[in-house]
Amino acid sequence: MNIVGITACIAGIAHTYIAKEKLVTAAKELGHSIKIETQGTIGVEDQLTPADVAAADVVIIAADIGVMNLERFVGKRKVEVPISVVMKSPKALIQKVEAKLAEG
Amino acid sequence: MLIHEIINQNAVIYNLPAKDKSEVFDLISQKLFEDGSIISKEAFIEDVYLREKEGKTGIGEGVAIPHGKSEAVTKTCIAIAKLKEPIPWETIDGKPVRIVIMFAVDNKDKNNYFVKLMSQVARMLAHEDFCEGLVNAGSKEELLALFQNT
Repeated sequence: MNIVGITACIAGIAHTYIAKEKLVTAAKELGHSIKIETQGTIGVEDQLTPADVAAADVVIIAADIGVMNLERFVGKRKVEVPISVVMKSPKALIQKVEAKLAEG
Repeated sequence: MLIHEIINQNAVIYNLPAKDKSEVFDLISQKLFEDGSIISKEAFIEDVYLREKEGKTGIGEGVAIPHGKSEAVTKTCIAIAKLKEPIPWETIDGKPVRIVIMFAVDNKDKNNYFVKLMSQVARMLAHEDFCEGLVNAGSKEELLALFQNT
């Protein structure tokens, strides 16, 4: 799969970045390509480009607060989860997304 | 970027004797106060508890990352404590906490170099083997070395 996504937590200091790293590590271990944008205290980093979004099979939004610029993903398959899901079991989440996509 | 720049060496404590979260906050805040990184223990701890109420800061594997964005912080930095005994905490895996990584953030810091460094440390904490290394560290030096090796 080609995954893009966004992580954002309440304080925007720690969980946002831990969740990103966990998602990226899990996706790579499972053989997927992934790019995650972070929306934190220091602003947006690794911003998803229109080309990134266009090429994506699925969008994962892992957030405990409102995420900016969601309109970019109109028409895309989206999976929205609280940050805690990524913190706890990133691999299981990606596997679930795999299964969901396989169903069509 | 040099990660050890964000770690406050005066607030890295090995074998911190504490029986609960409030004692941990008190002892770490005392170090930050003595160091001049915060100007008020009470105000800082209050802001840390505000964040604690929003959701679990125990990230599993015996590690917790409480954090306070606070007016009381004058120098954005990270304090690290390895506790003498594991203590109860709200954690995602239900395990008690042995390592506390406290993020103290100056409320005015937005696009700040130090907050960026903090995000680098946060990314390290996503890896189970790194957390395991912290929990098993046998001295203050070993704790610090883990952050400098990467």
